Parts: sequence; C-alpha cells; structure tokens
Amino acid sequence: MPANLIKGDEVAESVRTEIVKELGRIYDETGLVPGLAVVLVGQNPASLSYVINKEKQSKKLGFYSEVRRLPEDISQDDLLEVIEELNEDEKIHGFMVQLPLPEHLDERAILTAIDPEKDIDGTHPINMGKLFSDEKGFIACTAHSILHMIEHTKQPVYGKSAVLIGRSNIVGKPLALILLRRNASVTLCHSKTVGLADICREADILVAAAGSTGLVKGDWVKPGAIVIDVGVTQVGDRLVGDVDFDQAKEVASWISPVPGGVGPITITMLMWNALEAFKYKLEI
Amino acid sequence: MYEETIRLPADATEEEVLKTVDGLNKDPKISGILVQLPLPDHISVDRVIGYISPEKDVDGFHPVNLGKLLRGEPCPLPCTPHGVKQLLVRSGNDPAGKHVVVCGRSNIVGKPLAAILMQKAEGANAVVTVVHTGAKDISYYTKQADILVAAMGRPNAITADMVNEGTVVIDVGVNRVPDSSKKSGFRLAGDVDYEPVAEKASYITPVPGGVGPMTVTMLLYNTVEAAIWLNQG
Repeated sequence: MPANLIKGDEVAESVRTEIVKELGRIYDETGLVPGLAVVLVGQNPASLSYVINKEKQSKKLGFYSEVRRLPEDISQDDLLEVIEELNEDEKIHGFMVQLPLPEHLDERAILTAIDPEKDIDGTHPINMGKLFSDEKGFIACTAHSILHMIEHTKQPVYGKSAVLIGRSNIVGKPLALILLRRNASVTLCHSKTVGLADICREADILVAAAGSTGLVKGDWVKPGAIVIDVGVTQVGDRLVGDVDFDQAKEVASWISPVPGGVGPITITMLMWNALEAFKYKLEI
Repeated sequence: MYEETIRLPADATEEEVLKTVDGLNKDPKISGILVQLPLPDHISVDRVIGYISPEKDVDGFHPVNLGKLLRGEPCPLPCTPHGVKQLLVRSGNDPAGKHVVVCGRSNIVGKPLAAILMQKAEGANAVVTVVHTGAKDISYYTKQADILVAAMGRPNAITADMVNEGTVVIDVGVNRVPDSSKKSGFRLAGDVDYEPVAEKASYITPVPGGVGPMTVTMLLYNTVEAAIWLNQG
C-alpha cells in the first residue's frame, strides 16, 4: 500500500488557521497587531520572490508588515544601523534578514546583532543555545516545519529512532535537539557517512536534508517509516528532493513530496514565530 | 592561577546569587566563573547561568555559548564533553567517520557531546546517535557503536552483552554505590560494568580516574583561553 502524503499546504493551512484565530483573540482583547519586517539587501531574484511571498502572507494573516529594501553595496555599518532601528522599533515584534547576503558583509556579525527576542528566524546563537535546555526560544523555521509535519502524521515520536541526514544550522542540528526533547533516539549523519544506507534502514523517522538528489533509495527506507524530504535541488526546470520518491512511497507509511512538502510551511512558521514574539512582548 | 571560592548559604536568594555573579563579571582579576550545580530549587539555573558574562563562562553553559557550539563557531566547550573528546583524540581514537553512541541526553554531557562530535571539524566529524531511557532497547544501539559513551548516571547500566568486541568505551558515570567495606560506606562506580566490558573493549576508561580528571583540566584550559581572549579585548 503506498504511503500517505504529508502535504505541505495542508500542514501550513492548519498552522495559519491557528495564527489567525490567535491574532483575532489578541486584537479583541488589546486592539494590538503584531508587526513583522524583512530586510532584503540587493536584488537576488530568488530572495526577492521569497520576500514578496512573506509580505503577501503576513498581510493576509493580519500582521503589520514592512520590507526594508537596501542597496546591494550597503556598508556593514549602515546595515547594522538598520538592524538597530528594527531592534528598537516598537511596531516591529520580529524581523529577519534574508540570506544570502552580498559577500562584503559579515553574515555572522549581522545575525548576532538582531535582538534575540525579535529573531524569528531562530538562528541567533542564544536561540540555538536554548534548544539544549527547556528554555523557550525561537526554533529555526525549517526545523520547526519538519516537527509540524511529523506531528501531522499523529504517529508517536516517543522511543522512536530518528535519523537525520545533513547537519546544517537550520535543519539537522536544531532538529536533533528538538527530537531528543520529544524522547526519540536521534542519529545525525551526512551524505558522506560510511554505511549510510544501513543507518537509514533503522529509522522510524527519516529526514533527508543533504541537498543530494535521489540519495535515499527505496530500499534504504524501513517499512512503515515516516520520510521527510527536505532536499530541494533545481534540475532543469523542476525541483528534485533527496529521496527517490517513487520507490520510497511504496515502503514508507508517510512521505512528503518535493515540491509541495516542507517548502510551503517554512514561511508560515516565520509568521508563527512572529506571533510568539508578539505574545512574549505582551507577556501573554 | 589565581582562584577564589565564594560560598553562599543554601538559603541565599536568587538576587544574592545574581549580585555575586555580577561582581565577578566586573572583577578584572577573574577570567573565568563557574557556578557549581545543582542549585537549590528556589533559584533558577537558567537565570543564573544566563547572567554570567559569556566571555567568562568557562563551563560553556551560557545559551549564547551553547548556540555557538551548535553552530560550529569558536566558544568555550563544556568541560566534561570536551574532556571526552580529548581522551578520544589523545588515545589515538579520533572520532572522525566513526559511529559514536552516546547513552544519556543530559544538558551537561549527552547533548553537548553530541553537538561537539557531529561538527564538521578536526577531532569530530563522527556519526552520532544519542539514546536514552526513552528507547525500548538500548543494546540495539550500543552494539552498533565504534565508540560508546555511557552518561546515564546508573551504575552498571552497560553490561558486556551490550558491547561489541573492539569498541572504545568511555564511562562518564559517577555513582555512589553502598559498600560496607569502605569507611565512608560507599564506593564510586561508573555506568559501565567495568571488568567484563573491559574484556571486550579495545579501550576503556576506569571510574574513578577516567573522565573525572579531564573535566577539571578542561576547566583550567577554558580559563586560560578566556584570560587570553579578555586581554586581547
């Protein structure tokens, strides 16, 4: 029997419904609306389309939304000044800097300058550090999206074996700590791991985020496993994931497609984090 | 090295602890601060640790330092996991490419050790599995280990049948086991059933005398690093 599909749109829609409900409730009580800003440096076409999507979605959900478009050749100091302004701006409860940044800018210094309480991308070291304890902080949007997809299957995580391929700062590393907190056993490996196929075969939950097309074959998947494909590689005019979908769907119990899996959820999780930042500020 | 020990009573308020930390943050004689855990229940550990100046956080538990650790950026590494890494590397058991199975997911050992060993970095680059009491069968995982780290805090939790021939075994556990033959009434035991496991392991650390001395040494190491850093700033 082929696997159930984890459809990104469906998961995103259920999160959006919750966000709208919360925004309505808070507005009725306080008359306040959360504000969200995105900083865009330069004209990278992919970044531009992301930013437009974020702005559209945040307005649709009822956020106050701003986009700061800055010239490609902005200096480090001028960009830091914009970040300082947003840190101080009371209308803005959360903001993010769209990556990648032009090469002359020091990405690490810029991301660290964001007020951790407004860091809705969840990449400030303080927010990543809070993942080690049970302290509340922002979770990187992609990792958070995957958690929602796993929860969407209604399958238990407790005591399961999770295998994560790829150790990036926005997926593998944060997700490992999040799933440990949910009482899974977690193995973190990468595309060059020796014996990767055997490790994957033991996974009840398999998350492929290596950026390597077709890496995970059907016979790498444990029968009944949940398979989340985070890979997105442009091949010709289409997007291809890390998992051989046609083979894997015959073995897995749940599987996410590419496109249409993780992608549609990440922007929604940014909105979710902005709502959290707003609630934190209001102390509700 | 200049050293101060500040003893506060068990009923000290959180405010008093924070004030003490603040004084040390500002004290130019002090390069490194360690708040001995556990703290009494009425004091928030997160608050106190978060109050230590990250530059002087030689325990490496400030969230900003843990975040840098996870991101693979330079930071003081928590002492016990750092000691484990040094034990491995200096005994010729570089974890690169090996499957490390960490039993236990504490905030002070299991989680930071996993975060250290899975980085794409020298003396790391391992495949890391973290397994804990939530797993149905821990031996299923331990038998896959090239390097097995026991950090559950349960005496003799790792028995010989759970370990493959040739495994490198690091025992982080320090448990008090009742022993009437001792004057104190107890002896120290690790998480590993030492003698039978030692028969199968290629390398093994004893308790006491294994990881313990490394932890103290890495604290001093972190303090020297902090002093160098503070003097440059």
